[in-house]
Amino acid sequence: MSRKYSEIHVKRQAIQDISFHGVTALFAFLVFALLFGIVLSLFQGSLPAIKTFGWHFLWSSDWDPVQEKFGALVPIIGTLVTSTIALLIGIPVSFGIAIFLTELSPRWLKRPLGTAIELLAGIPSIIYGIWGLFIFAPLFADHVEPWINDHLGVLPILGPLFQGPPMGIGILTAGIILAIMVIPFITAVMRDVFDVVPPMLKESAYGLGATTWEVVWNIVLPFTKNGVVGGIMLGLGRALGETMAVTFVIGNAHDLSASLLMPGNSISSALANEFNEAVGELYTASLIELCLILFLITIIVLSLAKLLLLRMQRAEGRSS
Amino acid sequence: MESSMNQTKLSIRDLNFYYGKFHALKNICLDIPEKKVTAFIGPSGCGKSTLLRVLNRMYDLYPKQTAQGQVLFDGNNILDRAQDLYQLRAKIGMVFQKPTPFPMSIYDNIAFGVKLYERLSRRKMDERVEWALKKSALWDEVKDKIHQSGQSLSGGQQQRLCIARGVAVRPEVLLLDEPCSALDPISTLKVEELINELKTEYTIIMVTHNMQQAARVSNYTAYMYLGELIEFDETNKIFTTPSKQATEDYITGKFG
Repeated sequence: MSRKYSEIHVKRQAIQDISFHGVTALFAFLVFALLFGIVLSLFQGSLPAIKTFGWHFLWSSDWDPVQEKFGALVPIIGTLVTSTIALLIGIPVSFGIAIFLTELSPRWLKRPLGTAIELLAGIPSIIYGIWGLFIFAPLFADHVEPWINDHLGVLPILGPLFQGPPMGIGILTAGIILAIMVIPFITAVMRDVFDVVPPMLKESAYGLGATTWEVVWNIVLPFTKNGVVGGIMLGLGRALGETMAVTFVIGNAHDLSASLLMPGNSISSALANEFNEAVGELYTASLIELCLILFLITIIVLSLAKLLLLRMQRAEGRSS
Repeated sequence: MESSMNQTKLSIRDLNFYYGKFHALKNICLDIPEKKVTAFIGPSGCGKSTLLRVLNRMYDLYPKQTAQGQVLFDGNNILDRAQDLYQLRAKIGMVFQKPTPFPMSIYDNIAFGVKLYERLSRRKMDERVEWALKKSALWDEVKDKIHQSGQSLSGGQQQRLCIARGVAVRPEVLLLDEPCSALDPISTLKVEELINELKTEYTIIMVTHNMQQAARVSNYTAYMYLGELIEFDETNKIFTTPSKQATEDYITGKFG
């Protein structure tokens, strides 16, 4: 190979490297630009509402388009409560499915079960919504809600949460539908992270005479805690922002009620329902401010998750 | 020399082992003497690790792995379906090729196994942890950081931690599956010294790829090839005057 050729070759490679570097960096910085742009436009759009209602917007449960009085309390609570219900149901169920898939299931069942979970994750949310409204809600109203009224409604402190007319649609139904929707997500992540636990590590614990549960709880879970929390956050992110399915079954009522059986509203379903008919600057601005709040809730939740992970790491060993 | 005086701890009789249809161990008969170090040597895939994993029924975790025959441990056949696996594994501990510290503190790494079998007061548990760490020659190195993560230790320390963890439940037999294969020479030396210490109280069975190691630390050596036990005798004899040509070929490096 001539010297000249190799010099040209090196030069070309250097140019390639530089341009590749530049292009990928540009793409990466697009993320910042997008984020900044979205926050900025949300903030600008909601300025009229912020100016008119101030912080009061956060605690007010008013929602009166006629008199132009708006408050975000009902949708905020609806979003938080439905997501909490979804996680309360979704986390243990997903954990169980993931453990069964990775530790206990016979091999011939692993593939079909894993595929079924991925299929569930791929179902469009509107299908969950329609299924929830036409199939799940009536069954829930006829068979489950009366039982909840009779048995949980009489509990001393938690009772009021479970009293109310068995209508089928409401906060609890929305939470359950959300749980069904987030389970495949959380399960898929948990299964993937459980699968990468070194077999030797598990065998060491089995070798000491630990049972499957002891191995899972004391070895697998601490080893994979980052991934598990990540999976839960993915599920929570979906639950917080889920729109169509929730809109179908939550009832879309701007009422504050102690009962989980009563209809309520969530931020995203309020947006989906009302943007079409929002007239007037203040109404629109209030809806945009709801968007901003949802965005902030998501950021807060993610930060809390990071904090939680940091604290867990510190608890495990000071120097690790 | 003294072999006739030795008590047999584990007696393997007509053991056959299958991975699905693959016949991995063929009619193994072997008596493992008590409170001695027995080494399994042989080329990769000869079944030595498999044999080790039969002895605490580790293969039970995996479907399609089956063992036939008998392994008598204090007179009981541990391959029996009725065998309590948790009790068995408490008595027959295992250490693996790579250090496998649990994701918890050094203290908890040791206490974990103990807690599975015994309810100890805080003070008794402290004593047990200290005892196990001293037994495995790790105490002086870690006594000031016992509540730090086990994963913060060096590879050699981690491996001794794993041995301490096995020792802490007070087993009768320790199975070591190439315990030094991931360690540097100095750590290897420490682990070998430790094995020498431990053999006064425990029956030790180790798999090793390193023939010098087998010669250095073991009292008895079993040479295996393609799932069969070729020769089993005192280590001295195996390495100086093996009775089979195949053994001699392997230990002199003619093959393998």
